[in-house]
Formats: sequence, C-alpha cells, structure tokens
Amino acid sequence: MIRLDNIEVSFGDFTAIPHLDLHVRPGEFFTLLGPSGCGKTTALRTLAGFIQPSAGTVHVDGKDVTRLPSDKRQVGMVFQNYALFPSMSVWENIAFGLRVRKEKQADSDRLVRDIARRVELSDEQLAKNVAELSGGQQQRVAVARALVLRPKILLLDEPLSNLDAKLRHQLRQQLKDLQSEFGITTVYVTHDQDEALAMSDRVAVFNKGVVEQVGTPQEIYDHAGTEFVCNFIGDSSTLTPEFVAEVNRLSGAQLSTEATSYLRVEKASLAAPAGGSPAVGLPGTVVSRTYHGLHSRYVVRSHGAEIRLLVKEDGGAHPEPGTETTVYLQPAHILQYHRETGVALRQQERAVVLP
Amino acid sequence: MSSASVRGMVRSPFVLVVGVVLTWFIAAFLVWPNVNVLMATFFPDGSFSGRAAEKLFSSQRAMKALGNSFLLAVALSITVNLVGIFIVLVTHYFRIRGSRILFLGYASTFIYGGIVLAAGYKFIYGDKGIVTSLLVKVFPGMDPGWFSGFFAVLVVMTFATTTNHMLFVANALKGIDYQTIEAARNLGASTWTILRRIVLPMLKPTLFAVTILSFLTGLGALSAPQVLGGRDFQTITPMILTFTNSPTSRDLAALLAVILGLATILMLAVMSRLEKGGTYFSVSKVSSELQKQEITNPAANIAVHVLAYLLFAVYTLPVVLIVLYSFADGAAIQTGQLALGNLTLDNYVRVLTQQSGLRPFIVSVVYSALAALIAVGGLLFVARLLQKYKNWVATAFEYLLHIPWILPSALLALGLIISYDHPNPLVGGAVLTGTTVILLIAFVTVKIPFTLRMLKASFASVNSSLEEAAAIMGARTLYVFRRILLPLVLPAAAAITALNFNSLLDDYDTAIFLAHPLVQPLGLVIKANTDGAEGVAGVANTFVYTVLLMVITGVTMYLVYGRSSRGKSRKKRLPAVPPASPVPGPGLPGTPVSTEDAAQPAAPVR
Amino acid sequence: MRKLQSLVAAAVAAALLAGCGGAASPPASSADASSAPAGGSGETLVVYTNSNGEGRGEWLTAKAAEAGFTIEIVGAGGADATNKLIAEKNNPIADVAFGLNNMYFSQIKAEDALEPYTPSWAGEVDKELGDGETYWPLVKQAILLGYNSDKISKDSAPQDWTDLWTKDEFKDRYERVTGLGTATAQLVFAGILSRYRDDSGDLGISDEGWQQVEQYFQNGSPAVAKTDLFARIASGEVDMGQMPSSIIAEREKSFKVNVDTVIPSVGVPLAVEQIALVKGTGKKEQAQKFIDWFGSADVQGAFAQQFNSMPVNKSAEAKANPEVVDFFADLKQQDIDWEFVQENMGAWVEKIELEYMT
Repeated sequence: MIRLDNIEVSFGDFTAIPHLDLHVRPGEFFTLLGPSGCGKTTALRTLAGFIQPSAGTVHVDGKDVTRLPSDKRQVGMVFQNYALFPSMSVWENIAFGLRVRKEKQADSDRLVRDIARRVELSDEQLAKNVAELSGGQQQRVAVARALVLRPKILLLDEPLSNLDAKLRHQLRQQLKDLQSEFGITTVYVTHDQDEALAMSDRVAVFNKGVVEQVGTPQEIYDHAGTEFVCNFIGDSSTLTPEFVAEVNRLSGAQLSTEATSYLRVEKASLAAPAGGSPAVGLPGTVVSRTYHGLHSRYVVRSHGAEIRLLVKEDGGAHPEPGTETTVYLQPAHILQYHRETGVALRQQERAVVLP
Repeated sequence: MSSASVRGMVRSPFVLVVGVVLTWFIAAFLVWPNVNVLMATFFPDGSFSGRAAEKLFSSQRAMKALGNSFLLAVALSITVNLVGIFIVLVTHYFRIRGSRILFLGYASTFIYGGIVLAAGYKFIYGDKGIVTSLLVKVFPGMDPGWFSGFFAVLVVMTFATTTNHMLFVANALKGIDYQTIEAARNLGASTWTILRRIVLPMLKPTLFAVTILSFLTGLGALSAPQVLGGRDFQTITPMILTFTNSPTSRDLAALLAVILGLATILMLAVMSRLEKGGTYFSVSKVSSELQKQEITNPAANIAVHVLAYLLFAVYTLPVVLIVLYSFADGAAIQTGQLALGNLTLDNYVRVLTQQSGLRPFIVSVVYSALAALIAVGGLLFVARLLQKYKNWVATAFEYLLHIPWILPSALLALGLIISYDHPNPLVGGAVLTGTTVILLIAFVTVKIPFTLRMLKASFASVNSSLEEAAAIMGARTLYVFRRILLPLVLPAAAAITALNFNSLLDDYDTAIFLAHPLVQPLGLVIKANTDGAEGVAGVANTFVYTVLLMVITGVTMYLVYGRSSRGKSRKKRLPAVPPASPVPGPGLPGTPVSTEDAAQPAAPVR
Repeated sequence: MRKLQSLVAAAVAAALLAGCGGAASPPASSADASSAPAGGSGETLVVYTNSNGEGRGEWLTAKAAEAGFTIEIVGAGGADATNKLIAEKNNPIADVAFGLNNMYFSQIKAEDALEPYTPSWAGEVDKELGDGETYWPLVKQAILLGYNSDKISKDSAPQDWTDLWTKDEFKDRYERVTGLGTATAQLVFAGILSRYRDDSGDLGISDEGWQQVEQYFQNGSPAVAKTDLFARIASGEVDMGQMPSSIIAEREKSFKVNVDTVIPSVGVPLAVEQIALVKGTGKKEQAQKFIDWFGSADVQGAFAQQFNSMPVNKSAEAKANPEVVDFFADLKQQDIDWEFVQENMGAWVEKIELEYMT
C-alpha cells in the first residue's frame, strides 16, 4: 500500500534521514516508534508530502506520489495538536476539505453528519466552536476531518501526546476501534512504546533517522533486533559475562560471553517454573524489593549481575533483602547483541543447539 | 470567565487600586474637562442652544465635507486593509525574493506622515510631478492634473496609513499555528483558500482593531485632502479646526466633533460585536512556527512579485524625494523644480543654528517619550483588567477611555484649560494652566484610546492558563503580571510606545493651547514655518524638520522593532545551520519542516 | 501591590514636580546671559507675538538684550495667540503681546485679559489706530490685491476686488482663500463686506454684499495648501491674489516674479499691529519698560529699516525705507468701522465657511 524506497531527507547540511525503506501493507496499523528527534515525524511528513525527499521515491497504492503535493496523495492527516481551524465551527472544520472540493452543500452535509456519527460526535457538537470541545472530542473532530475525504491512508502524528494518561488510554482504544472499523491503512507516529505495542499491527523502530527494526509488536519485543530496540522497548537487566558463563555451564547452552547480554524482567523468576521447561537456577542475594500492589520488583545480585524481576503478589513467599535465593531463567530468553554493531546474535540457531 | 462578576473584581486589591487611579484619571482628565467644554459650547447661557445644529445642517458645504469625510473613512477602511494585508503577506507570509528590502520600503510610513508625506506624493504624481511628466510624454492628451480629488486623497492616505498593519497584523500572523495551514493543505485547499478561510479569519481581531484606526484616520483626514483634494474633495477637519479657533463658532466645531465621535463609537461597537462572535487564537496547545509559503502558480507568483515591487516604488519614492528636496531652496520646493546642482546644506544650517536650535527637538522628545511611556505603562494594567473582567463596569470604563477619540485634540486642550485655569480640587487644588504638566496630561490623554485598543488586542492573544498556572504556584498578581504577562505583550507594548512617541513628536493641535511658553515642542516651530511666517525659507525648513524627524522616528523604530526583527531574521538567514542538538527536547514538535522546494533549506522548527 | 502604589505615586509625584518646577522657574537655558544695564532686574519677560517670523524674533531678542531686557518670544499665528491669551487669562504666562491687529486685540480686551497702560510714546502715534487705552499701534500693514505685472499691464489690471468676479478675463485667474483662519483673509473680507453694510441685512450686510462673497468663491482658483501664492504666480497657475504689503519685496525675489498692487478707489484695508500689556502679569513694571522701549522711535525705526515695515511712530518714519514710506503716503486707507467688524467677524467667518466656500 505504501512504499518508501531509498528515501533521504536533509535540511541544509543536516541529514535527518540518511536512508529509509519502508513497506506498509493494506489495512495495516503501522507505527513509527522512536525517541524525540529520531526522524519518525520527518518520515511521516515525507509520506504526507510536506517534506520533499532529496532522494528516493514514495509510492501510495502502486502510484508514484513523490512529486505530488500533499492533497493529491489521498492521505488524511491528524496533527499532533489536531490543527483545528479556530475560526470555524466543528461542522465547518470537518466540511472544509469537501467545500474545497466544491462538493454540493447537501452532499457535504450528508457526508459530514455521516462521519460525525461514526466518530460519535453529536449534531449539537457539530454546531459548536472547536474551542468548546474537550481534548477527546477535538481529536475525534480531527479524525473525522481527515476521514471525510475518504483517503487511502490515515496519518497520525502523535495525536495522544498532549492528553492526560487516562484520556490517552481511553482514546487509544477509540482510535484503534475507529481504524479497525474503517479498515483504513494507518501510519501512526509515537514515542510511547506502550501505545505502539498495544495498537499496532506492525512497528518500525527509529533511531537517529534509521529504522532499527520492523516487525509485529511481539517480534520487536521478544526478539529485539538491535541493542537500541532492546533498551528502548520494555525493561531488561544487563548480564555480566560471568553470569552468562554460569548459564552456559549449567545448561550446556553456547551463549557468547563476548556479547552484550540482556534479560527481560518478566523472563526471570524466583520460583522454579513448572516441570518440562529448560530453566536453570542461579544462586543470588536479594538486594531490594519495591512493592507495586499487583506485583513487587526485586533486584537480585548473582555473579556480578543485578537481575531485575517481578514477583506476582499472589500470597506466595517473598524473600526480604539480604536473603539468599535462586534466580530461574531460560537460556533462550537471553538477548545478545554484538558489542560493536549492536546487532542481535542469531538466537534461533542457538535455541536449536540447546539440549 | 467565572471571575468576571463585578463583585469578583472588587475583591482583588490589585483591581481596586488600578480602579481608583483609573476612576480619578477618567473623572479629572477625560470627563470633567470635556463636559465643561461641551457645556460651554452647547449651553452658552445655561440653556441649550440648537443654533449649531441648525447652522450646520443647512450648510451645503458642511454637509458635503462631512459626507466626504465619511466616504473617505469607509473607503479607507477597505483600501488600507487591502494594501496592508498585501504588504504584510508579501513580507511575512509568502516567499518573495528580497522581502527584507520590501519590508524596509513598506516600513517607510513608520517614520513620516502628515503634510510632508502628501507633499512628497505631489512631487511625484502632481501636475508637475515626475511620474506625471513622464506619462504626459507618453500620452500627450492626458490631463496633468489627474492626481487630485477623492481618488488621489484615497491613494495617498491608503499608502500612508498601513503602518498599523505592518506592526500589528504582521505580529498576529507570526502567531498562527503552522500546523493548521499544513492541515488545510493536506485537505486540498489552495494557497488562496488557505489564506481566505484559515489565515485571514485568525487575524480578525487585529484586523478589526486596525480597521477602526483606518476609519478614524479617514474621518480625521486633514493634510491629504488639503493638498490633493482640490475643489471637489474637501473634508470636515479643516472646518472643525477653523471653528475651534473662533470663539463664536466653537459650538459648530464641538457639534461636528461629536458627530464624528459618535460615528467612531458606533464603529467601535460594531467591531466589538463582530469580535465577540468567534475564537481566533489557536485552540492547540503546541504550535509550530509559521513557514513562508511558496506561491505555486507561476503566473500568480510573477504577478505578486511585480505588484510587490511596484508598491515598493510607490512607498519609497516620496521619501527619497523629500530627502532630496530638503536640500533644495524653498522656491524650488514650491514650484517643484529640482536641479541636482542647487542642492546645498543651507537649509540644515539655517534650522540648526536658528535661535531655538535643537531645543524644540529635545523638548518634544522628552514630552513624547514621557507621554508614550506613561500611557502604555498605565494602560498595561487597565487593558489587562478590561480584557479579563468582562462586565458592565469594565465596559463602561472602556467606553469612557475612548473619549479622546470623540473630540478633536484642540477641544480636549480647551477643556483642560477651562477646567484647570483656576484651583481645582480634582487635582489637589492646583492650577494646571501655565505649567509644563498640563501638556503632558493632554499628550497622555490623546494616546489613550489607541494604546488601549492595541494593548487589549495583544492581551487577547495571551493564553489565560499561563496566568492561572503561575497563580496556582503562588505568584502574586503583580508578579504574574510582571514575569508572565508583560514579557508576552512587551513586543506589542514597545511597538505601541514607539508609535505613540513618533506621533506626538510633531503634535501641534494640543501644544498650541497648552505648551508652556518657555518649553515649546517642535510642532509649534514647524507650524510657524509652514504657516509662511518664516517666508519662503519656512517651507524648506519644514522639509528639514521632516527629515530630522524621520531620523528620530527611524531610530526609535529601529530600537524597539528593527533590532528584534533583525535578530529573528538572522536566524532565518542562516538556515543551513542544523539545530543545535539533533534531538530537540521532549514534547516539542521536534521535526524539521521544509517546503516543497528541496533546494530551499528551511529553518528547523523549535 | 506595594510596588504598583509606589509606582503610581512616583509617577504622579514626578509629573507634579516637573509641573511646579516648570511653572516656578523657567529653565536656565532660556535666560540670556547678558547683563541688564537699562532694563533692570533681568527677569525674563514672556512676549507673545505673531510677528516673529523671518528673523524678527531673533532680531528683537538680540536688541532687547542689548537694552537690558531678557525676553522670551513665543510665536503663534494671530488667531492662536489670541486664543492662548484668552485661555490663559486666569493664570497668564505672557507679560506682553504684540503684532496682533486691532481685531484680535479688541477680542482679547473684550475678554478682559489686557491691562490698560499708556506708553511713553503714546503721543508719537495716531491714537485712532489703537483703542487709546490698552493696545497701542506699532506697525501699519496694507492688505493688497497684487497681480503679476510681467503678464498684466497696469491698464488691463483689475481696479478693485469686485473686478475679479465681474470681469470675465480675471475669472479663475485669481487665487481665493480656502479658509478664513488668517488675519489677512479676514481683513480682505472686512474690506469687501464693510462696503455693503446694511443693518437690516443678514449679520449687518446687504444681500448684494453676500452675493459678492458668493461670486468671489465661485470664480476664484482655490488656494493650494502649503503652496505660496507667489509660487503659483511664478508657475502661471494664477495671476493675482491677496497679499500683505510687507512680504511682497522678499517673495518677488525668491520666486523671481514681479508683482504690482491694486489700489481701489475706496482705499485699502490697513491692519495695524499693536502692542499691549497682559493683565495679571507679575512683572508689570519690567513689561511696561519693555513696551516703552520697543515702541520708541529709535527701536521702531531700526525695526522698520531692518524689515521694510511701515512704523506708526511718526518719529520713526525717517529711518524707514523711503519707498515704503512713500507707498504708504500715497495709499488711501479704506474707512472701516472696526468696532462693527470686530463684533461681526466671528459670525461672518462662520457664515462664509458654511455657505459660500465650495
């Protein structure tokens, strides 16, 4: 549906995106994830036609749109601050694109009311001034304004970033529901990994203008392709070479002791897993415990590594700091990255050689 | 606003203090003197006299002149907006080659005006003007006196009064959230549609304010119609001035002034009503800086460029000629013959070595600076309160503060004299006439309405949550005002101060009545020169004074306005420099924004 | 809060101090440094005048300083100076006023703003020219109709103002005023309207008189703001118009034109510039000395010599430019009832402004 090939974007001497290839499938909810300034919004704006790439091509639905202006690309966009027109009512905001297209008044009104119903805006709200709406309502106006033109693609530029946490959660769901309902190919920009994992079909993780990894939320979480992705997404503990060597000794796994190694917090436990799993137990000392209600976070020192892990507050045993304990983990869950390049060592192969 | 009730107002000590000072000032210097002067004119013997109305309404000439003034006011409201918006767009919105140069040309109206400006235009388009001479050569049948009457007056005044657009509309334009423009573009809107449907509506409050000013300028037109109006297009102001100066006809002047004043108030009310209707400030919490727009249609692009540079010529030619003519002798100026060989420094030597010398300049600069600072400084508080508390008390105060717009400054001056030429308890039993302070009071007074309008408009664009945020953190009202609000409106306040300062420099109407004889401002000296009392040399002196005033006002504008805009433009001029850190802080739209043209590097958005 | 209060207080205090200071003691810079041998105390006299232009003010200040008077000239047009004197009558700033003509001074006198004083030189002037009580004549000024003598010969020139609109060849060739704010314009109309006095007519003028005014405005070429009549004569736009006698010689030179004047059979309106003591002055003695000095034959003679004026003081005539003296000797003065004119001028100006000016 969308192809970005060999895209390069620079502003004067500053190269924001050195080289970018992306492929978004029809109907997909595709997220560009990364820290501020990583180039994800630049990529989105290049796709929207607000930025002209210095090299490369943009295809939408098989058509080369690289040189087309924004409005000829059949993309709808929801801006970070919604960019609602303050001098117009809600109805006028939504109808703006239709009126520009010189649709008949009656048609416009039908389309506007139709889309408004689908994003759950009442007739009463349509007559209001945009300043009178809440943040969530404003977002729905922005979405309706983008969708009423029936674009092939919907672009969302951090639309939830200015909202409070609760509203953000609520709107995240609404947005996702709207997208599934319309079935429209959506490209979503965010720096919030939670959002990205919860909403996306696939995620592209950006770092310094470069895509580090593209994959489903699970892929990028469980098999973070690079050290950056591993650190940016989720929470993990750094393992020492001694610790890795001990795992190798106990399990017979052949993990590299040269590589940088991580273990996700939820992949370690203090209780031996149910039988059948290839887990190994390493002795360690409890350093600290913080209570979180649902669970407690532990830090356990073992072979020079500080292993962070979660223990469910289900009434089970809870060792206090200073006590000796055993940390259980599966060697296959250890994520390893090349010290220089940060690229993941091939885990599948290692998994295979496990006994 | 929930706190807008009258009782809420009275509860704040800050409001109370400002309110008391304001009430005293309004009562002592706006209401009392003017009531006095109106009583004296309309109730000469204690009973109402309808003589003035009868005389005026039966006078064809007065009615025609009055009609002309209104016609000019209405026409000017339209044309000044057309030209003003165009030059603002050309210098601040569209990507036009050489927009810095264009800006300087258009900004020439900041530094001069009045009779000399009209004369400048006459040098060019008048019957012996250079453009007319050229045209007559090309079209021999053409009437050399083509540039006169309503058309000429309107043209000259239009170009002369775009100053407010350059200052305030340009400033408002900079505040527009660029994302709304991108959004509209994404929805398929053309450059023209975006301008018409998105950009201009957001500029409405400022446009309303400057429209009122244009209307007033047209209504009070004096020099342009005198110089260029000819027999068929004379306005009412000269008549008002004549009648003001004749004790037996002062009631006519007052009546005419009241008619103009009512029109002004009506206009004000209409504009306020229009303004109330909508939201104009951006509803977004994060906004991005405006980027200059490319005009994509090549034909339109060329047309706009050509028009922009034509206007540039129209704006700058009179200034150039005035400077040139200031070196010529008086006879050459009046007959319009300019020979480069005859240009000497004589005029400057004469003006600067005459008995009064530089003293009037110093007096005027001190008076104008004091008045401008007091007016803006005091009204900063008032404007904030009026903008915050919208109830009947505030509205009443606001209208009262517009009194100086209703009466011509000569009548205001007379009112002050009548009221304070004897010990008056309103000012602690002092006699104000014959002191230096009475002129200062008058200067402050005449600048109040303009200052108030403009300050209110700039406060309107301040997000109220900023103030609330500071208040929640425990900041006192004055602290919030000083640290939060003031910095936000300071650029506008500085610009208003500069405009006030500049316009007071050559004031004549109030100074002639109120100036202390030993501390005479420049306006009186200039007037003596233009009146012909100084003979032929007087006209040349006027030009010298104008050029010197241009220097002073030019320096003022540079100090408060040019420096900051230059600072900004320097950033813009070095777009090749990447942002200091490639990772802008969180929460900001940390994305470089470029335009369609990849060859044109754009500044990164901060 | 405290900050605001102190701010306002400071501003008000500063303003008031500035005010009082200005009123009590004029800035030092204005006081001339010269010592005061004859004039005495050396207090600065404030002199209002409309006759300070073209170097007169500077000349007078210098001469007065030589005589021991420190004076500060405040220049303003005739109407402005009159209004100022009347406006300030409860708290006068001026000590002496001069240069205004009888019409203006009689207005000021009617407002009770003048102090009667008989100068030492009262015997050397024609009392009839002043009011013989408060204001005293200094300089005679004739209000003339002048024409371009290079273009129009004496024979074909108009013989009177009325010719301008009754004879076709002068129509649109004369400049007519666009406002009646100036003394010269008012005197021209005083001269024309006085001929048609009719106590039963509107404002004391017969219908025929008003018709003349109407014709004057209909057939004249309106004056152009800030363009001198002589400049227009030089460029050929018009050939004639009103002019006070004292300016003719200088403007002829500046604009390189030659102008001749018309002496109608009824005579020419004479404006007589006067001098008077302002009522309520705190420096009465000093001001009286100044009046005595300025009106004296010596000073008036020197003034006349310097500025080509026609002194009223008979003893000063000897020093004046003989051409000027001759001109005035031949001049027939129009007989005008100044009291009548002064009483009605305001109303006339108003009527003309409202009804006849187009």
